[in-house]
Amino acid sequence: MPPREVHLVGGTPWEAMLLAPVAVALRDAGLLEPVLVICGRRLAATRRVLAAFGLSPDVRVPPPAPVSVDADPRGVMMQRLDALWATRTPAAVIVPGRALAGEAAPTGLAAALAAHWRRVPVVQLDAGERRADLADTLADDADRRLAAQVTTIHLTATPNAAMNLLDERVPAGDVLVTGSTAVDAAVAVAGRRLRYETSAVATARSGPARPLMLVVARHPQTRGAALEGVLTAVRALVQRRTDMEVVMLRPPGPAAREHAGRLLGDLDRVTVLTALSHADLCRLVSEASLLVSDVGDLVPLAPSFGVPVLSLRWSDDLPEALHAGCARLVPCETAQIVAHADDLLDSPVRRDAMTAGGNPYGDGLAGRRAAQASAALLGLAAPPEPMPSPGTVPFGATA
Amino acid sequence: MPAAKHRMGVVDFYVGSWIADDRGGVRRVLAADVEVEWNLDAPVDDEELVQTLHRIAVFADTVEVVSRAPAPDGVALVYDMVAPFGTARMAEFLTVAHGRITEVRQVYDLVAVDRFFPGLYDQ
Repeated sequence: MPPREVHLVGGTPWEAMLLAPVAVALRDAGLLEPVLVICGRRLAATRRVLAAFGLSPDVRVPPPAPVSVDADPRGVMMQRLDALWATRTPAAVIVPGRALAGEAAPTGLAAALAAHWRRVPVVQLDAGERRADLADTLADDADRRLAAQVTTIHLTATPNAAMNLLDERVPAGDVLVTGSTAVDAAVAVAGRRLRYETSAVATARSGPARPLMLVVARHPQTRGAALEGVLTAVRALVQRRTDMEVVMLRPPGPAAREHAGRLLGDLDRVTVLTALSHADLCRLVSEASLLVSDVGDLVPLAPSFGVPVLSLRWSDDLPEALHAGCARLVPCETAQIVAHADDLLDSPVRRDAMTAGGNPYGDGLAGRRAAQASAALLGLAAPPEPMPSPGTVPFGATA
Repeated sequence: MPAAKHRMGVVDFYVGSWIADDRGGVRRVLAADVEVEWNLDAPVDDEELVQTLHRIAVFADTVEVVSRAPAPDGVALVYDMVAPFGTARMAEFLTVAHGRITEVRQVYDLVAVDRFFPGLYDQ
């Protein structure tokens, strides 16, 4: 009898990246058949992400049109997933918690509810993430909390996320700290050292090896004076450090382009872009001496490569990194950014000290644990051990 | 009347009845042997369901269906229940047969219910 199917549902390329290590681990274990169900609009980018893992979308569930009479994208998606699972019922559905917020919000809750409707068990990755901003917590987390109520196994990236779930009266036996599969994916992709997909980055990195500072200034609020603060800091650092190279992701739009061109356009060792593929981003993080970022997505990846983070803005991903000492919270002000960057770039010891305690977001084995937990849920394997506390074992040393 | 349209008519009647606090209307459309389950920490049967929906309807400022997914034998709904101090979300899965609702499964956001609908299910 062929292995039973487990459907891994994602909407965006980033979610595909989160699911890929689980799909690979499921495939390698051979107990269950992973089926990637892709619901997002950016299919080409999603395919590229999956291809890095030797995967491709198995089922395409088209999302509702962006501007149409479909005023209820979650309902439409639920209906389409239910139609799929009426004829092809999986043994379990795996949803990334990330799919419950932001761009892909309709996909995550729709998938969890549609599975629950068919009484298919739901496994949630990166479960328990909640807004750190108390003022917005209840409204923004409504979908996440509702999805938690229909989730059978909650696989969390960190103990904090697990505590969030216990606070919501989720039974402790249904929660397992696995680490984040984003860490697995980043380590796997960066380790392959694939050729850079973005030609400007390939050109910039083809010269002699130089210390790299990766700057990501993409948050919607990094505009005007905040953007000016970041750009001026980059300019000051590059002018002062004649051997340093900078790759910067700036906000899209003509105003930001003009702003970046005015302040950085005459500098040789600065490459300014508006987008990067996941593979390029992972490789750049792995090669950087310092990551300066105003978005939270990259914060969990950097410690695995021994890269300290200057976080320019509070994000929901940040508390663990701050607590573990992997990141510093720095305002978008030139003097502050320059001072903290100088402090770290001048001292490899300080940089190493920030990440010596390991990565609080994962040890590179989350995908394997998620696959084993899914198999255990269906009575095909023993439950996995939780991720050990960071710093107690070498990276990637235990199963 | 096509079966799907008739089924949606039953669903609309049920939803409209409970939101308008018409307990008689809700009872009329529930099958005699309706199966009810929910994630509230309290036993449930059809009468407890009716009373809980009544308590929500009278306490909430508004109740709105924010998502609706029809299926061949029923519908999945997501509600936003707006109380004076905040909103609680609830998913409901209904099965319809022979003009009656034969199964009701409700999933509440328990954190928001406890905070914004205090005492909803422990009366």
